[in-house]
Amino acid sequence: MSEYILRTNQLTKRYKQTLALDNVNLHIREGEIYGIIGQNGAGKSTLLRVITGLALPSGGSVELFGKSERNEWVDMQKRIGALIENPALFSNMTAIENLELHRLQRGIPGRECIKKALQLVDLEHTGNKKVKNFSLGMKQRLGIAIALLSDPEFLILDEPTNGLDPTGIVELRQLIKKLNREKGVTVLISSHILSELHQLATSFGIIHKGKLLEELTAKELDEKCRKYLQIKVDDPKKGAIVLEQTLAATDFEVLQDGTIKLYEYLDDVRTVSLALTKNGLVIEHLSHHGDSLENYFTKVIEEVYHD
Amino acid sequence: MINLLKAETFKLKRNKSFWMIAGLMAGTSILFHILIMTEWWMMSGTKFDAVGLGKLNGLAPFTVPVFFNLAVCSLAAFFISSEFSESGVIRLQVMSGYKRSHVYFAKYLVFSFGTIIITVVIPLLTAALIAVALGHGDILQAQHFQYIVGTYGLFTLQLLGYTAIVMMLAILTEESGKTIIFSILFTVLVFVIEQFAYHPSVGWLYEHTIFHQFSFVFTPELSGAEWMRSTAVGVITILLVLAIGMAVFNRKEIK
Repeated sequence: MSEYILRTNQLTKRYKQTLALDNVNLHIREGEIYGIIGQNGAGKSTLLRVITGLALPSGGSVELFGKSERNEWVDMQKRIGALIENPALFSNMTAIENLELHRLQRGIPGRECIKKALQLVDLEHTGNKKVKNFSLGMKQRLGIAIALLSDPEFLILDEPTNGLDPTGIVELRQLIKKLNREKGVTVLISSHILSELHQLATSFGIIHKGKLLEELTAKELDEKCRKYLQIKVDDPKKGAIVLEQTLAATDFEVLQDGTIKLYEYLDDVRTVSLALTKNGLVIEHLSHHGDSLENYFTKVIEEVYHD
Repeated sequence: MINLLKAETFKLKRNKSFWMIAGLMAGTSILFHILIMTEWWMMSGTKFDAVGLGKLNGLAPFTVPVFFNLAVCSLAAFFISSEFSESGVIRLQVMSGYKRSHVYFAKYLVFSFGTIIITVVIPLLTAALIAVALGHGDILQAQHFQYIVGTYGLFTLQLLGYTAIVMMLAILTEESGKTIIFSILFTVLVFVIEQFAYHPSVGWLYEHTIFHQFSFVFTPELSGAEWMRSTAVGVITILLVLAIGMAVFNRKEIK
């Protein structure tokens, strides 16, 4: 079997004159929590809709669990649980009836799964209350319960925190982490709340105007977002010696252009500055650097935009 | 496929519109039969008169497309189209790992089942009950029973062709209101075409449609060839419209 749960190859989706997806090559490995980052209208939902078969691709292919032939690919969707855009529910039915319908549809034996799914999203006490009387957050949680009903190996969630209160958001994050950790569920999640994704995802894909600009792991992202002091002195070699010997710094690097990245003394710029000048170095530049996910995301988009 | 049928049946049983339409059809049917059997309302010149079943003339309106379409298109609107617009639950079906053609076929079967209940079973059942209740049970003799079973068998076949058409309309329009409007316009269009049936080419074409067959199948003592033709028209319509409907649904963007 392929090492990827999901892989798209030159995936393209065109709506008349608009190119909603432009040759997207997405890679999601087993066990990952993959966060799709993008602005409104960037193509996140379109991508998820094509992956789940709601929209048909104009070009390229989708490989799901190693299968890319259309018939096999449709069959593989039985192993997926998904919540795309708003939850699809019958408003005149109760939560249990909505879940029962999907249990029948998926052919899941026994009704225990319904109770379990309701407990997972804290909706087990809704009784005979019709969905039309649910709050937005309750509907969202029921949508998640439906996605989880068949114990999916791959969970696709499009903006799942919509309508959830802060407690609900934290609970959902914990639930996703738990499913990923304990059951090995691979998750593809899209959200415009980047800080939320940052706490959850193990890999990221940045999408903008239908193009997948970058794929990176959380480790790589942390590396890129790591805070540091950027130092430029007239003699970088001597500067490095000063940092090592005078300040006993070990976590720094000297780039090819002579810029020094110091990952220590972030709150003590004065000491660094004094040490360098006392050793006869001229400081050309000394400033804090490092991005939040938001800044990094903006930077990637701007770089492409300016190119 | 069985799972899809179970799910569709579950939805039909909980569909308020279905029960409301069934109730209205039952009420209307009971009223028609009582009025006609007690001779408060005289209806003549129907196909039922010709075979000595004038007491069952209350069945006649339920065999006219313009009339029964009101029930069929309402059910299509609130059972099929609403899944695309209001609830959006069609998404979950399409994502559930079944071929779209299977999803479509399961919907068609259960929708047709619901349609047969409200347009065939309810009028026939209420007719039989009212006939017995009003002391006209003698009309349910073997000879008449044979006629009713035979003609309604053929009628149901044509009706299955019609449900295939209305279901395709419901899937194309995706909105309850639009489904009802377009279905009514469609039956009006067929009625207009029927008025031009005197023209040889239009007439020949019209005679080979389910719309002509809806009334033709009630002709007393149909010949073998006419039976065959009626069956062929029904079966070909079902297969052709289902194939087109599935092709449309297979390529449809689900919003």
